[in-house]
Amino acid sequence: MSYAYLFKYIIIGDTGVGKSCLLLQFTDKRFQPVHDLTIGVEFGARMITIDGKQIKLQIWDTAGQEAFRSITRSYYRGAAGALLVYDITRRETFNHLTTWLEDARQHSNSNMVIMLIGNKSDLDSRREVKKEEGEAFAREHGLVFMETSARTAANVEEAFINTAKEIYEKIQEGVFDINNEANGIKIGQQATPTNPALPGSGGAGGAANSGCC
Amino acid sequence: MLNSFKASIMSAISPDLPPPPNGRNGEKFRYSRPLFLELLSEDELRASSDHNIRPIIVPRDISLLPWGTGYAECVNSGKSRRNEDQAAFRRQVLSDPNRIHPDLPYTYFGIFDGHAGYGAALAASYQLSLILHEKLVDCIELLLPRDAVNGDERVAAINPAFPHPKIFERSVTKDELIIGALEAAFFDMDELVDHDNSRYRDAGGCTACVVLFINGKMYVANAGDSRAVLCQRRSAAPKNPNSTAADGDGNGNEKTEKIEPDPVDDTLSYATPFSFDHTPETERIRLENVARLRPELIESYYVAMEYAKRPQEKNLGQRVLCRKGTMKGWTYKTVTSRDLAMPVVNGEGKRSRLLGTLGVTRGFGDHRLKAINRQIPIKPFLTPHPDVRIRDLSQVVSIPDEHNEDGDYGVLVMATDGLWDVSENEAVARTVFQTLTRYPQEKHRYTMAAQELVARARGKVNDSGHWRLADSKAAATVDDISVIVIPVYQYYKEHVEWTQTCAQRKLAQQNNTQKKVEVEQQVPNEAIVEVEESIVVEVDEKTPLEAHVESVSETLQQVQLEASGEPEKLDKENNSSAAETSATTTAGKATGTTTGTAADNGNGPTKGGTTNAMPAKQRNNNKKK
Repeated sequence: MSYAYLFKYIIIGDTGVGKSCLLLQFTDKRFQPVHDLTIGVEFGARMITIDGKQIKLQIWDTAGQEAFRSITRSYYRGAAGALLVYDITRRETFNHLTTWLEDARQHSNSNMVIMLIGNKSDLDSRREVKKEEGEAFAREHGLVFMETSARTAANVEEAFINTAKEIYEKIQEGVFDINNEANGIKIGQQATPTNPALPGSGGAGGAANSGCC
Repeated sequence: MLNSFKASIMSAISPDLPPPPNGRNGEKFRYSRPLFLELLSEDELRASSDHNIRPIIVPRDISLLPWGTGYAECVNSGKSRRNEDQAAFRRQVLSDPNRIHPDLPYTYFGIFDGHAGYGAALAASYQLSLILHEKLVDCIELLLPRDAVNGDERVAAINPAFPHPKIFERSVTKDELIIGALEAAFFDMDELVDHDNSRYRDAGGCTACVVLFINGKMYVANAGDSRAVLCQRRSAAPKNPNSTAADGDGNGNEKTEKIEPDPVDDTLSYATPFSFDHTPETERIRLENVARLRPELIESYYVAMEYAKRPQEKNLGQRVLCRKGTMKGWTYKTVTSRDLAMPVVNGEGKRSRLLGTLGVTRGFGDHRLKAINRQIPIKPFLTPHPDVRIRDLSQVVSIPDEHNEDGDYGVLVMATDGLWDVSENEAVARTVFQTLTRYPQEKHRYTMAAQELVARARGKVNDSGHWRLADSKAAATVDDISVIVIPVYQYYKEHVEWTQTCAQRKLAQQNNTQKKVEVEQQVPNEAIVEVEESIVVEVDEKTPLEAHVESVSETLQQVQLEASGEPEKLDKENNSSAAETSATTTAGKATGTTTGTAADNGNGPTKGGTTNAMPAKQRNNNKKK
């Protein structure tokens, strides 16, 4: 299916906060209570509509374990959006946010939109991090904030779509250089009547020609 | 590194040829990554081949590969749209046609580095294992043990490695039979690629490096410049055993923070190549002999000589140091105009080229490849013939312990030249054991080792978009990288368990036979049923008869499909066993010698060798009824 834009997302955060479950809920609309440890990197994709335009989200789900950090870092590059996830029932996952944020800012392009996600909002009885704390952290670091539940699907759609809206606005404002694929945005065939020349690499050209991405 | 010239071949052959009328886009197999990676959708395929990021892909479900075997891969930096490497694995059993001996299980891994297209590597990843299975089935009687049961007790006592002395004039060992099966499979695979070239889009070419674990031995067959290296630790105990022991649990924090210092002393690991790289440089003598014996192949465009310094026009009449054919040393000759042609083998090391074009001299495919700027076919210089190296694991002395979980069995690393171009064998061994030490318990530790090897070879991209190694400024590999890390001891453990189960079964069988003889004298018919049932009870109940019936009918279906000329549908039906020629023959033999083809679909690997070994017996019994 053709799209106007493709946005690349990356999901980051401590191990066990529910990154893979958020992805599964968003792409497959299902919840898997027991999920294997993500070792390398996982991929998901879904089409959404913003402003009447078809936008494809290509989502990279990374391993949260410390041991994988050096490999995870190489995936920040070329992401237009990041979901930084913590678990509201585990205080330490909130405490590690600063490290994650530093990592993300250091290795990504400066325009990357970062959405802060407090996941597992369905487990309110075991809550260790107040919603206000999440909001305060987001305000302080200029992030968008949302509490979600991958189990009940609450706010999951919104989290992914709001991030996309923000990226879309930045494109409209001309903040993103959309011709540089390293920014995590690819123009599809529907984008503009004067389909701009696609970025140089053979891979991108081939992808667009086949017309199914 | 075949990068630049591969690119030039790509453009020379032109991937934009109009697709032939038959087949989807003229392809025999739809492009995919190795099945055990489960990259099933086009989206996943696309994301995994992002040339800017070059993500390192590992299996989602690591239990799909046996023994905790690790695998990781990474796409090139843009020289070809697809990752042209492929990998495959298969677990299978060979059944005794006389139904006396238990099934003989084996495990196969293969790695294939494609060039000038992905077709040949893709075909090899699907089909080579099927062809190899046929070759092994062909000689199964000779691979089975010679013992009292088949009346060879006397011979077995004299020479257990000497099958059927009455049949052959020459002694033929089991090793030679397996080597022969591998060699023959390589030749047939190449022929199959050639055959398919007339019906599908040109497949390009590929290297092949495979390992076969069978009968307690490891056979590595290689054609091309992929490589298998056995990584081992010296048996000496660690300098400070206390610290190693403490690293495991108590000091978790310290361990994660201090990742950089090498936990393994460099001197404690070493690497032994288990294959030989076939490049124009290493095969110069063979290639120049081909040119010398068949001068018509090179016409006057090339010369079968090597020069210390390549002569130019101004050197005409001067003397130049050279060597030709089988010469190992150098001698002088006077330069004539003939010497100005390009040498058959040109350049040194990784840059050496055959006819100025190809950097690898064995493997499958390349049947239509012509030398750059010349209409000279290159295939006559190439051969699919593999070198086969054997390691008899029963001869390994050092027993694995807590300091060295792999013992002298070692860890076999198989990888395409994407890894070896930028990593010395010794450095690879070091990285493997450093990683294993860092993850002493994790079931995905060999996957971590594979991932680490790929990450180091790929390096990091700098601001100007060039890939650089992390520890130096040197260029990292821009080629596709694929790495398999196999814990050899885990295979051997499985093999030992299998032999024990076999011994137990044999005992039980002998008891049954005795009983049978006694009862048969009275009520023969009933007795047979009884004995059969008693055997059925012993065998594994987890593998139902249906599985076999299914696989046979599936194979038959394929043959029918093939006969009705529907290659597309065939692919869809079962990617893993769509080999036409092998499907036909397998179906012919299926009743006696083939069991389920589930291994490639991921069901097989979780089963142990013992469970795999059982179903045939059960089947045979059922059939008798």
